Amino acid sequence: METGPIVRALLHHKTGTFLVALQIAVSLAIIVNAMFIINARIEKMNRPTGMDVANLIAISIRSTGDDSDGLADIRRDLDFLRYHPDVDQATVINHFPLSGSGSGTGLRTLPDENVTPTSTARYQLDEYGLETLGANLVRGRNFRPEEVQMRSPGDEPQTAEVVIVTQALGDELFPQQDPLGNVVYWGNMEPATIIGIVDHMQGSWVNWDGLDRNLFHARVSAQNFVRYLVRSRPGRRDALIPVLESELFKLNRNRVIREVSAHEDIVARSYELDRAMTNILIAVIILLVGLTALVITGLASYFVSQRTKQIGIRRALGATRMDILRYFLVENWLITTLGAIGGCLLTVGVGYWLETSFDLPRLDWRYLGASILVLWVVSQFAAYWPARRATNIAPAVATRSV
Amino acid sequence: MFAYYLTNAIRSMRRNPALTLLVVAAIAVGIAVSMTMLTVYYVMASNPIPRKSEQLFAVQLDSWNPLRPFDSDRPERPPHQMTWRDVNALLEAGYASRQAGMFEAELVITPQGENQLPFEVSARVTSSDFFPMFEPSFRYGGGWDRQADRVSAQVMVINRKINDRLFGGEDSVGRRVTVNGREFTITGVMDQWEPMPRFYDVIEGGLDEVSEVFVPLSLTPRMKFNSAGSDWGWKPEPIRSFEDWLNSEAVWLQFWAELPTPEDKAAYQAHIDAYVMEQKKLGRFERPLNNQLHDVMEWMAYHEIVQKDVRVLVGLGFLFLVVCLLSSVSLLLTKFEGRSGEMSLRRALGANKTQVISQNLIEVAVIGTCGGAIGITLTWASLNALGAAITRAPQALFEIDTTMIVTAIAVSVCTSLLAGIYPAVKTCAIAPAQQLKTQ
Repeated sequence: METGPIVRALLHHKTGTFLVALQIAVSLAIIVNAMFIINARIEKMNRPTGMDVANLIAISIRSTGDDSDGLADIRRDLDFLRYHPDVDQATVINHFPLSGSGSGTGLRTLPDENVTPTSTARYQLDEYGLETLGANLVRGRNFRPEEVQMRSPGDEPQTAEVVIVTQALGDELFPQQDPLGNVVYWGNMEPATIIGIVDHMQGSWVNWDGLDRNLFHARVSAQNFVRYLVRSRPGRRDALIPVLESELFKLNRNRVIREVSAHEDIVARSYELDRAMTNILIAVIILLVGLTALVITGLASYFVSQRTKQIGIRRALGATRMDILRYFLVENWLITTLGAIGGCLLTVGVGYWLETSFDLPRLDWRYLGASILVLWVVSQFAAYWPARRATNIAPAVATRSV
Repeated sequence: MFAYYLTNAIRSMRRNPALTLLVVAAIAVGIAVSMTMLTVYYVMASNPIPRKSEQLFAVQLDSWNPLRPFDSDRPERPPHQMTWRDVNALLEAGYASRQAGMFEAELVITPQGENQLPFEVSARVTSSDFFPMFEPSFRYGGGWDRQADRVSAQVMVINRKINDRLFGGEDSVGRRVTVNGREFTITGVMDQWEPMPRFYDVIEGGLDEVSEVFVPLSLTPRMKFNSAGSDWGWKPEPIRSFEDWLNSEAVWLQFWAELPTPEDKAAYQAHIDAYVMEQKKLGRFERPLNNQLHDVMEWMAYHEIVQKDVRVLVGLGFLFLVVCLLSSVSLLLTKFEGRSGEMSLRRALGANKTQVISQNLIEVAVIGTCGGAIGITLTWASLNALGAAITRAPQALFEIDTTMIVTAIAVSVCTSLLAGIYPAVKTCAIAPAQQLKTQ
């Protein structure tokens, strides 16, 4: 094999070789760490929501005066929404899941102030709430109509006596027992019985590690603000949005329809920064790989033109086209590999910096392997075209220019 | 001579257009990527009110649950917001020359005239001192005075956008607007005022826009303004009415004091500590005494306004610039090596080393200037693209100012010098006859 002469030739161009290898090394460090971050963000954005997000419409309304009868308005709005032919189901809800806006509470398993409460997001909705969300009630039962607390401003405070929890919240509260049928205590130590378990649903705050811990109780509360969640029939969502907006306003002109939008858009807004980060890093990787490939091609072309005579001589002495092609590809492979070895060290360094300064999880080694593979393939491709040109140099060139 | 070198440089660049373009592109992309990241970082980390940032203090009182701290991960931290009761007590006591309590609300404006629909505006409910403390610029009029605070006058400040919408942009001071069903009188119209970050309220991250209107805090009980920001409670208290809510231990207001000198700060700290000790006698504030004052930049650091992601991106951006730099060096090295014959010839014909080197340096300078100019243009374009992608943040986050343009120019000059000097000098280190011999 001809690695000996190749290495010796490279040693003649120490600086150039070193520079390209170093460039590959730094590129590798960036690519590996960027891919790692990208993958974490994509996984975060693709977590199952446990809801029928694609068909949900979020409606937010506010009354302008303080003289309106909130509960009557809500009943009329819900009647209209539920009887609309394109609507599958509708509910009133205190906050939209995955919107970044929500209500949190702490629950205890004993009526004792010294027990640390388990924090959870809290959703108040009516007996059609879970159906509207598309949440999967796996065990126990749904709320009964008579369990829905109808509340107007000024009413005596009242906690819910029955609640439904997600499996994640149930496990957190009762790690050793079956949460179904168990009793939890609100902040004022009033008890509530868990009557149902939803297998999985995401709550309000996408960056919170308790995103899967959610609590539901049945309440319709008439306030200045009212929010509805509507589940449209499949495929009807986008057509339904403007209709609902104008019809709801017609039902009572004395209010501001703040928002009628696809729940999907609200969710997308919550992940906007994650998506931006992902896109920026993808752009950086593309630019980096493109630049590295172009530089390799540029340098290889230059070397080919420099060595025209040498190649001619080798061809005249009996080297095949294949030999010439192999020479340049092996040379390129050696430089890339040298860079990759240096890159491994740098990657670990950058990874360590990210891990310690930004609490990012430790780098997964598979990314390093994958990135080295990508760099090998890209650099071989980049070197291939100039090398092909080298094979076309006729043996006669050697004789001609002397 | 310079002109001759320049023509030579351009001729040389045209001889190897692919290599030349590649170097220009490498420098341009390197600058664009690193400067884009740096600009966002710079805006986030910038001092939003340089002249007064060391005189304005966010005030925290630890009124939280005696059984556990507000932030269990950082138990030394008191709640970042205050109760309505404490805000009013501190405002009334007047321990500082200027103080402002505040919270964010959403109000409904009903425009006059038929067919005009009511619309919602974001509002900062705050004290009259807000305006002299934070110094927003006014187009017409100004803030309301302390007397208006005392009598809970229905007065308001609106921003330019709302003034354009309601009054077609004319001077609307003294005009009336219906807010939540009541008549308010306008005292001032704000000019463009976009402090970045929005330092006076960073509870939700500080990237939010400044409110569209401002109304007096003392109107809250009468108008029943609800907070649109976050509220935190720890004490189980029955809330039957708005009054119950105001008297609760829930924290939902921010509080600022203007303390021009360190003595003022020390005195203020003593005052609020004494206030809390007094309250302890009434059975409130059962936690150990822990009242804190943070000036503007300390408060920004406390809330980690510069997000981790941005810092990661700045780091990766500069590593990217290193890659571009390395590419440029190796490409230029190659390019100049290819010319060693020509250089030997010129040396042999009498050009001295300095002359040959300056010839190369001029070529590098031309390449660097092109790369830098394209790079800065690309920076501007990518910042615009980011601004379009991240709708949640105000556009001020993605604006490049003079400082950053100067920085960008400096970075591109340094980059091209770093990229060019070594190849330019290295390739000249040849004996005049060396390269001629082989020809």
